[in-house]
Amino acid sequence: MGANIYRNKKPALVFLLPAFLFMVVFLYYPFFKNILNSFMHLKQLGASATEFNTPWYTNYEEMLHDPNVWTSVKNTIIMMLVTLIGQVGIAIILALMVDNISRGKQFFRTVFFFPIVISATALGLMFNLIFLRDKGMVNQILEILGKQNLTDWKAEGIALVTMMAPVMWQYVGFYFVILVTGLNNISEELYEAARIDGATALQRVRYISVPLLHNVICTCSVLAVTGALKVFDLPWVMFPKGMPLKSTFLTGTYMYYQTMETKNVDYGAALAVLIVVLGVILAKVVNAIFREKDY
Amino acid sequence: MKKKVISMMLAGAMVLSMTACGNSGNSSDAGSAASTGGDAAAEAPATEAPAAEAGQETEAPAAAEGPVELVVTTTFAGEDSNAQNYKDAVKAWEAETGNTVVDTSATADETFKTRVATDFETGSEPDVLFFFNGADSNSFIEAGKVVSIDEIRAEYPDYASNMNEDLITASLVDNKKYAVPANGYWEAMFVNTEVLDAAGVAMPGADYTMDQFKADCEKIKAAGYAPIAAALGNIPHYWWEFAIFNNQSPANHLEIPESAADENGQSWVAGMNDIKELYELGYFPENTLSATDDETFAMFTEGKAAFLIDGSWKVGGIVSSCQSDPNDPATLDTAKLDKFDVTYVPGKGSRKATDLVGGLSSGYFITRKAWDDPAKRAAAVSFVEYLTSDEMVPKFAQHGASALKNAPEVDASEFNSLQIKAMNMMAGTTSLTGAVQDLFAGDCRVSTFDGMPEIVTGRVAAEDAVAEGLEAYQNQ
Repeated sequence: MGANIYRNKKPALVFLLPAFLFMVVFLYYPFFKNILNSFMHLKQLGASATEFNTPWYTNYEEMLHDPNVWTSVKNTIIMMLVTLIGQVGIAIILALMVDNISRGKQFFRTVFFFPIVISATALGLMFNLIFLRDKGMVNQILEILGKQNLTDWKAEGIALVTMMAPVMWQYVGFYFVILVTGLNNISEELYEAARIDGATALQRVRYISVPLLHNVICTCSVLAVTGALKVFDLPWVMFPKGMPLKSTFLTGTYMYYQTMETKNVDYGAALAVLIVVLGVILAKVVNAIFREKDY
Repeated sequence: MKKKVISMMLAGAMVLSMTACGNSGNSSDAGSAASTGGDAAAEAPATEAPAAEAGQETEAPAAAEGPVELVVTTTFAGEDSNAQNYKDAVKAWEAETGNTVVDTSATADETFKTRVATDFETGSEPDVLFFFNGADSNSFIEAGKVVSIDEIRAEYPDYASNMNEDLITASLVDNKKYAVPANGYWEAMFVNTEVLDAAGVAMPGADYTMDQFKADCEKIKAAGYAPIAAALGNIPHYWWEFAIFNNQSPANHLEIPESAADENGQSWVAGMNDIKELYELGYFPENTLSATDDETFAMFTEGKAAFLIDGSWKVGGIVSSCQSDPNDPATLDTAKLDKFDVTYVPGKGSRKATDLVGGLSSGYFITRKAWDDPAKRAAAVSFVEYLTSDEMVPKFAQHGASALKNAPEVDASEFNSLQIKAMNMMAGTTSLTGAVQDLFAGDCRVSTFDGMPEIVTGRVAAEDAVAEGLEAYQNQ
């Protein structure tokens, strides 16, 4: 026996088995079952589908003609761009600024990270009050500044902005912490050498921090884009049923609406498949764009 | 080898522990079932002794020893007038019987209905539920997941015997009676008289017409208030019901049209177009398409909107808004409450203003799961009998109707001013018709409920929306 036990990998497989079974039961089985359900006639959650739709691809055909699907896909793509620019972009700026201060780094880390630990539902309710027409915090401030009429922040033209701003705000801290950790890994000697060579603070950021942060930014970007596909709770709390006029649906909220509110369970299953397909395609695209470099 | 065995055992233990965790939800059932294994059965505490009768549909299981835990879900939650009454009654029943109630009550909205339907589908239904007895209960009645009153009476002959049999609604599925009604409801128009006074509008009476209503709305709008508090993008239900009713009569309101083109279908289309007209006239709040029902209700209670069509359960919400502490009735500002009134919904055509929507649309169901559980059968019956007793029902019914055979005299001194106004208003009703939306449940409502913003903004023609809903209804 002796040292041979370290070469024998079979015990590790045994330990992997429970996790594997867990994944099969709670992820892969529902996943494949969902694909099957998207072709079946199913109008009650939890009920077993007994017959196929006629024709079996009805739901996918309907998706092509459903304007809400296109609205939700469009909004989701906008959400991705907002996430990428708003969350990762702002997080980079904040991380670089915090990295350049000598005191209070820990304070800012905590302050910026804090929204992540609050439940999205609670945040949704809070932002509902902030953007309340009569009279939320924003409208009160505008009134103090002299605005006469109340603004409906949930009206059709502006609803998307009102929905995306809190989502963006919530996750900035997440990417900020990742980026600050990445900045901490850059050797101080490089900055010192640049300083001796006469590099300004901006030049140190441009030629040292940003290039060496490239891989971390790529990781953040991939996380941000794939994360945007899954955003659900905060938008649903603020804009249930795609209010107003079904203009704020995201792919996730529309799938929930069809499944839970209209009891169109099989169509909801088809929308879930669409989300997976979109997720795989977008993840590939993002991985191709933000390819990590070897240093 | 020894380490291999240990690792196998550890992995096995992990799998077993996961399996055990998965079963924890049923532990009380399993435990209670195990406790009744013997033939010698002791009765659950303070429950009625079962009357064994020959020929009953199911055999009475042996009753359980010790206290029982009942899972109960009702609509007595949130702003419902009876939320506190229900809490008090549950507490009293628990004290009297030694049993406990796991209460999963929630506000009666579409999400709640979906939750209940899903619970039944997935086998996690409650033991007792106070739920709608219309089309919303069809799915679990079709699945045989609740017990009929007749089946319960085979073993408990006095079950619901204090109720007027004619007022217990039969199921749309099989015409059997399942739900024991507790309190009725009505839908009418609440009025903020402070806004009416400011706009120089008189309090509407029993002969209020839609034309008078529009004239009043115009004055209220000119005075800078929102005439109607309603969130058409969130809860258009009440306006939907009365707008259709206004184009029909009490005699045919509960008939669901064959198509949008027939006479009855056209009355639905006309109803949708009436709401569209009110929207275009600017009588709803500016943000009616983006606001929630809570927001527009707040406009009403804060004196920014004049009229609110809602149900009898809203009396509690209005009273709460007049309390400095919504949970403490002692903090009620009576002067503020006196400024609220309730009257009839403006009439049109064959529907008089005094023809209201109401009835006994909900009741207590006992689920098959609880009935077949030896530990819970008697306790579930005891719970429903307690909540529907001659003493308890009047507390819940308040200003509404009840199905009691011998309804006791109401002591008006126990009621606040709005409840008394409600009772006076109810005394003048000429008819009480059920809500057609209770028969038109599920996805058939989507095109005209969720689609109301599209209808009022003209993006979807009322005729198309009604036709879509009726088609979905025919396909159910």
